[in-house]
This record gives sequence, C-alpha cells and structure tokens, in this order.
Amino acid sequence: MTMQEDTGAYLEVQNLVKYFGNDRAVDDISFAVPKGAFLTLLGPSGCGKTTTLMSVAGLHAIDGGRIRVGDVVYTSPSEGLFLPPEKRDIGMVFQSYAIWPHMTVAKNVAYPLEIRKVNQSEIDDRVAEVLALVGLTAEADKLATNLSGGQQQRASLARAIVSKPRLLLFDEPLSNLDLKLREQMRVELKRIQNEVGITSIYVTHDQSEALVMSDEIIVMSKGKIEQRGGPVEIYSRPVNEYVSNFIGVANLLKAKVRDSDGSGQGVVEVSQDGQTMTVPCQIGPGIGAGDDAVLSVRPENVHAVREGNGNDDVEGEVTHAIFLGNYVDCRVKWGDFEWKVIAHPRTRLKAGEKVFLQFDPEHTLAVQP
Amino acid sequence: MTTETYSSNAVERSRLNNRLRAMVTQENLITLVVALIVAGAVIVPLVVLFVSSFKVLDPAGWDTTWGFGNYVTMFTDRIIPKAFVNTLIISSGSTILATFLGVSLAWINARTNCPGRSYLEPYNLIPFFLSPFVGAIAWHNLGEPQTGLLNNLAREVFGIEGAIINVDNIWGVIWVTGIFFAPLVYLFVVGSLRRMDPSLEDSARTTGAGLFRTTMTVTLPLVMPGILSGAIIVFVTSAGEFGVPFKLSAPYGWETLTTQIFSKAVGDDANHHMGAAMSMALGIITVFLIWVQQRYIAPRSFTTVTGKGFRPNVLDLGPWRWVAFGYNIFFIMVAVVLPIVCLIIVSLHPVWTGKIVLADITTINYVKTLMWWHPEAISAATNGIGNSLILAFGGASISMVLALVISYMIHRTKGFGVRMLDFLSMVPIGFPGIVLAMGVLVTYIQTPIYATLWILMLAYITRFFPYGQRNISSIMLAISEELDQSSRMAGASWFTTLRRITIPLLKPGLFAGWILLFIIFLRELSISIILFTTGTETLSVGVYYLTNFENEPLTSALSMAQTVMLLIAIYAFRRLAGREALTA
Ligand SMILES: Nc1ncnc2c1ncn2[C@@H]1O[C@H](COP(=O)(O)OP(=O)(O)O)[C@@H](O)[C@H]1O
Ligand SMILES: [Mg+2]
Repeated sequence: MTMQEDTGAYLEVQNLVKYFGNDRAVDDISFAVPKGAFLTLLGPSGCGKTTTLMSVAGLHAIDGGRIRVGDVVYTSPSEGLFLPPEKRDIGMVFQSYAIWPHMTVAKNVAYPLEIRKVNQSEIDDRVAEVLALVGLTAEADKLATNLSGGQQQRASLARAIVSKPRLLLFDEPLSNLDLKLREQMRVELKRIQNEVGITSIYVTHDQSEALVMSDEIIVMSKGKIEQRGGPVEIYSRPVNEYVSNFIGVANLLKAKVRDSDGSGQGVVEVSQDGQTMTVPCQIGPGIGAGDDAVLSVRPENVHAVREGNGNDDVEGEVTHAIFLGNYVDCRVKWGDFEWKVIAHPRTRLKAGEKVFLQFDPEHTLAVQP
Repeated sequence: MTTETYSSNAVERSRLNNRLRAMVTQENLITLVVALIVAGAVIVPLVVLFVSSFKVLDPAGWDTTWGFGNYVTMFTDRIIPKAFVNTLIISSGSTILATFLGVSLAWINARTNCPGRSYLEPYNLIPFFLSPFVGAIAWHNLGEPQTGLLNNLAREVFGIEGAIINVDNIWGVIWVTGIFFAPLVYLFVVGSLRRMDPSLEDSARTTGAGLFRTTMTVTLPLVMPGILSGAIIVFVTSAGEFGVPFKLSAPYGWETLTTQIFSKAVGDDANHHMGAAMSMALGIITVFLIWVQQRYIAPRSFTTVTGKGFRPNVLDLGPWRWVAFGYNIFFIMVAVVLPIVCLIIVSLHPVWTGKIVLADITTINYVKTLMWWHPEAISAATNGIGNSLILAFGGASISMVLALVISYMIHRTKGFGVRMLDFLSMVPIGFPGIVLAMGVLVTYIQTPIYATLWILMLAYITRFFPYGQRNISSIMLAISEELDQSSRMAGASWFTTLRRITIPLLKPGLFAGWILLFIIFLRELSISIILFTTGTETLSVGVYYLTNFENEPLTSALSMAQTVMLLIAIYAFRRLAGREALTA
C-alpha cells in the first residue's frame, strides 16, 4: 500500500466524523490528495460517499475532524471553524445535474463568474472557451430544459470548472445516463479534468467507472475506508475479502496462513469439503502465520490444464464452459466450491472433463477476512 | 314485391332503432342533460348581463332605450371613474402585500429551519377560510382613530396623543385584503418550494453565491410561475371583493367598482342596466387576467430531475431563524389572533366606546343575534344563520354531485361536447361573484325564483362548482381509468360502476371538496348582497345589516358566530383532507 505522505498534500481530510441522529454516516475517515489528482470514493449505496463529499463542500456541518485545502482550513469543529460553501471556491457536479431550468446554458455557466464580479467581456470569453471544451457551443442559448441528459451533464461540468475553482467535486454524475453515453462520458470527463488540471474528488458506486477514471481510489464501506490505492493496486492487490469481492470478480475461499516469510510471500491451506490444498501465495498486509485469511484469485489467474504436474494441483470437473470468442468462461467443481476460471480458447475445455487447476503464486493472494 | 319492400323497410327501421338505442345510453343521456344545465346556468346570465348593459334608463327611470350610454357614463360620472382608480390601487396594493407575505411565509415554512414551522403552517392558512368582510369589521374596531382598541391601548398605556393607526381608508383596505389573501399566494408556491431539488440551490452555493443571492437568483425564479399565478388570482379576487371596501373605505369617500355595482343593484339609486355595464367592465378585466394565468403562466412550471438521497432540504438560518419565527408569529397575530380577540371583546359590550369596561360585560348581543325565539332577536341575523346553513349544506352537496358528473364526463367518457363542458366549467372562475350575481339578478328578477333562496342557491352553485370540479378532476387524473373499465368488463352498468367503484375511490376528495364549498358558502357575501331580499338574508348579509343599521357589538357577535362555525369546518377539513389536499 502506498500511503500518501500527508504533508504536502493539497486536500487533506483528517478524522472526519458525521452523524445523522445516532448513526455514524462517516466514521473517522482520513485521506489526502495531491494537487491536480483525481481521487475516487467508491462503495455501495449508503456507505457515506455523498456525506463525505458534502462535508468537503460545506453543504452540511461536520461533527468531528478537520478539512483543509491548500492553506485554507475549510472546517474544523474543534477550532470552531466553518467556512460556508460559497467561500470554499469549489465546483460541484451533481447526480441530478442541477442545471437551473430558468436560465440558458450560457447563463448557467456564466453564473459563477458573475458572482465573482468578473467583467462582462471576460465572462463571455471564458464561457465560450469552456462551452467549446465540453462541446456545447451550439447549445449556448438554449434553455437548460431543452437539453438531453448528456448535454445537461456537460453544461453542469462547464459551470463547475468555469471559475477555475480549487477543487472539483462529482457526486455520481453519470448514474442518470444510459450505458453507452456513460462509457463515452467517462473518457470525456477524464480528458477535461486532465486539461483543466483541477484537483478532483469523484463519487461513484460503479467500479469500472472508478478503475477507468481515477488516479487513486478509496474503497469505502459503512462509513469507513477499506482500502486506498491506484486502480491497478486496488484490483490486483485487494487487502481484504470485501475489496476483492467489490472490485471485479474473484474466487474467494476461507483459508489459514501456514507460513509467512514476513516479506509478503507465504503458504496458505484451504480446506473444502474434506479436500485440502496448500497454496503458495502473496500474503496481504495485516495477517501472519496461523491467522485466518481468505484466498482470493481472479478467474483469469486460474489455469486449467488437462495434465497435472504435482500434488499441489487441484483436481476438479468442468461443469460448464461457455465459448466467448477471445476466452472461455468455465466453472470447475472442486468439492462444494465452484471455481470461476477464464481459459484460453485454445484449451477447448468441455463440460464434464476432468481438469487440474494451477495457481501462479505471484497472482494468488491471501487477504484479511 | 310489396312484402319485399316492407321487409327491407323493416330492416332499415330496426337498424335505425339499434343505432338510436346505442346512443341513448344512461351515460350519454346524463352527459347531455348536464351539459345543457351547465350551459344554461353559466351562459344565460352572462348573455343577459351583456344585453342588459346596452339598455339605457331614461332620467325619469321609467323607460329604457338601446345604446352605449351606460359605458359613456362610466367615464363621465362623478364617482365611477374614481371608483375604477381606487379598485386598481386597492388590487395592486393588496397583490403586492399578499405576494410578499405569501411567498415569504411559504419560503420560511418550506425551505428553512424556522422553529415550529410545521405547527405554524395551519395557522398561516386560516385567513384563507375566514371572511375578509369580518376581518375588515375586526380591523375597524382595532384601528378606528377614536374607538379602535389598538389606538385606545396606545393612548392609555403609552400616553400617545391621537391615533397610532387609522384603517378607515384605502390603505386599511389594502392591509386587510393583503393579509387575508396572502394564503392564496402561499398555496400556489409552497408545493413547488417543497418539491424543489435541493441540489439546484446547493450548486449555487458551491459556485460562490451566498444564502441571500441563492434565494434571489435561483429559488425564487424557479417558483416564479407559481408566484405570478398567485399574484394574478389575488389581483382578480381583490378587484371583486366587496365586504372590505364596503366597510373600510366606501363610507369615508373611497368607492370601488364593487361598492358602486352594489349601489346600482339595490337602494334608492338602483339602476340595473348601469350596474350591468359596470359588471361587464369588471368582468372583462378579470376574465382577461384569468385567461392569461391559465393559458400562459400555469403551464410554465419548471420540471427538474430530482436526485436520489434524502438530505433534508432546508436552509440553516442560524440565529436568523428566530427572526423568521417572529415574523411568522406576527402574521398569525395580525391576521388571526388580534381580529378574533377584538371581535370577542367588542361583542361582550352593550355599546363600544373603544374601552374595555369589565363591569358592562354582557351576552345580550349573542342573545339578540343567535336566539331566534327570543323576543328581542334580530331577524336579519337569525334568518341569516338558518339560510346560510341551508345554502351551505344544499349548495355544497348539489355542487359536488354536479362536479362529480362533469369530471367523470371530461376524464372518462370523452364523448361529444366534453371540451365545451371543460370550457364552461372554467368560465365562472373568471368572473367575480358580484358580476355573476348581477347577471343572475337581471336574468331572473321577473321569474318566481327571485326573492327565494333558490336564486341564491343557483348563483352560489354556478359561481363555485368549478372549485369542486377541479378538486375531483385532479384526483380522477391520478386514479387509473382501468379500475373503471374492469368494472364494466365485469358486467356492471355505467351507473353501477360510478356508484360502486368511482365514487368510493374519490371519497376523500369528495369530502374535502364538499367542506371547502361549505366554507365558501357559509361566508359568501358578494353574491348574497346582490340577490337577498327580506327573509332570504344570509350570515354575511346579517353581518352587513347589523353593521349598517345596528351597532358594532351586535355586528361583532354575529361575526364571531360565523367565525366559530368556519373554524369548526376548517378543523373538519384538516382532519378529513390532511395537509396535502391544499398544499400539494
Ligand atoms: N440527511 C440525512 N438524514 C439522515 N440520514 C442520512 C442523511 N443523508 C444520508 N443519511 C444516511 O447516511 C448514510 C450514508 O449516506 P450517503 O452518504 O448518502 O451514502 P452514499 O452516497 O454512499 O450512497 C446512509 O445510511 C444514509 O441513510
Ligand atoms: Mg450518494
């Protein structure tokens, strides 16, 4: 795990706590983001992502912790500090777009500049520039209600970035769009963020969105941080069962750590319906020899072969194999457990065949339960 | 040969019979009958009013000639042009005041964390149900320079010389009309304020706009169609309001169109044709404004995508919330509490001199106005109570039946004449009660129903059934038509379906609509004042009689009786209809 050094971070959230009644919607969260980075808060609905974002935006007061951006402290209840949202210099894109229906697109986008008392000719220039950036030049004089969902989303983004704020916040901005548009907008949003270079926090429950767009991802559950890291790290080195399960697809089995050399290599033992296997693997953080763990293997890292080559191999039966062109999606029954396996089409596996499963220790993980 | 012709004729005839029979269904028959009744009730008085306005009474008052004389008189008369101007001033002033009060109260209750806002809301709405005429009487007793309670308190407690306020003028009319019609604007905007997507405001806050700026540039513009609709309705209603200017400004030299129409309808100065012409003038203005509102403003409400999640969408006003609270309480004080307390105090005195004299406290005023068996009872008052109850029960019931049938026809049968019916049931909303009453007066004055309760009932229903109809229509639109259709599939006739399926589904709405009409009829003044005769006084006419020919304590006693009856009905309304019925 690459924990960011907190000093030097541009946005810093320390020990954030927010209650709704007696429920802790956000439970002691800390993170930091370097300038210009794109951080994603990822987690299932209700895990506290929006609450975290609103806390940064100042749309509600927090119950504990400290939020700082650059050298400005946004809020810190213990020091009695609370900067109202309009003083925080942020741009925000909402799930419902929140485009004001009584103004044209250009008026919507000009609004933040008018608030900042920028002179009219500069407003016109900036608005034209930003509308061009998001591809809405032709729609400038339309009423917001006459735009499609995707266009409203672009307008909303234009309005958020036009004043070059310190921080950009996104709350599930793509979740109201249909799949195709969503995939297209991901790329576009990321391109625009890169271009303007504004530090961004992006909230989503969609893991593929997070993987595609983010520099860093924070996986959350129940108001807490489960893991933080880059997309590759989160995907290939999940630290616990929750993250393995939430991101992508994984074979997850209860295991016990047999041996751990302290540098991340080790051996775990998995028992399943009377059968036992020992698997050499990477030992994740926070577990050592003798601990309970979960074995986590991605389907593409399980190799199914017809000829076994040792007693560490797992012998199972292919229950079904679906040919999908560039790969074969297989299920292999081993005791009670059904392995998900992605096999190369050349193997021509068929249902009913006996196969041996082999694991590459480099891509086989033991993680916290 | 002959037999052949005969038989082919017979086939023809039976085919025709079948077609006739197919058309003569319960459904179509009732549609036709109702359409004719509504057309007759709504159109005939307006046409007769129009025709009558072109008859000019000769100076001796015996004969009439055709011509535009009445319309010319409106500009050349000594009083009428001023009455026009006064009406304009009063309507504009009341509209500004009511809009300010209504919008600010709705905003406080729906969008801020003002303490106790959900408890205050019902009290903010009370003036909507009470009689503005009674409000004017109460404020007269509060703010008359010599005998006004507030002025006397100021003199006694603070030793102030003279009077602190005087409501017996055009400003008093604006004040009372404004506070009584504020709930109208409130009801037009509170729903959309409540439903507004909070991220519309949040995004303004994050772009750097403060609370005030966000409210002025985002929140209020978003509810502007509602504000404009409310303002137009208040303008029109104020222009047609009779009681308040009659009590507060006409006696002191500020006549309005309605007080002038009244003086042309009854009394020494009566000239129905002149009254008809002035009614036409007033009606044309109000119909035009209502048409603008219905056609251009009501459809312009903004629809927005609403985000998920349940942030409580209220603004934290910080310490200012106590200011909002105080403001809200202030409104309830001036619009509800002070007037009622004042009426009670005055009604308990044998004569009112502006001072509370505990030794003189008496119930004689209630005896004289309520106890019809008592020798000293005043028949205008006691008759009024009985007649108003009859009119309110009967009128509300007939109106709701009519409204039900019309809504059903408009939204379910979609047969011939339905669009016409839809239009006809909109027309009365455009005309002030006093205008429609002038039409009914000139139409039926020669018939036997004149000088009976029936003419009042007819005018009440004609003017107000559209409210019931809109009430039912909105619910009917929300109930799936398939529920009816499945009943027909199951073999039930149209009437059975109506009785067994439709009406039970509509029941809550029917009750709410019924009580609303009951309330309106119980306090009705501007129609009654034109159409009543001795023996057919109504409650408000009784109040009018007492204030005109008797004294303030008697007037206050009957006003209190009316207010109590209305408060009971409001309570029933809230219990039955819930708060959504009005504010949704
Ligand atoms: N305004 C609120 N009042 C009460 N509870 C809330 C409110 N907003 C959110 N919550 C609760 O806080 C938790 C986190 O909500 P939220 O931050 O909206 O989740 P997410 O955005 O991750 O879906 C949820 O359990 C939700 O029920
Ligand atoms: Mg959320």
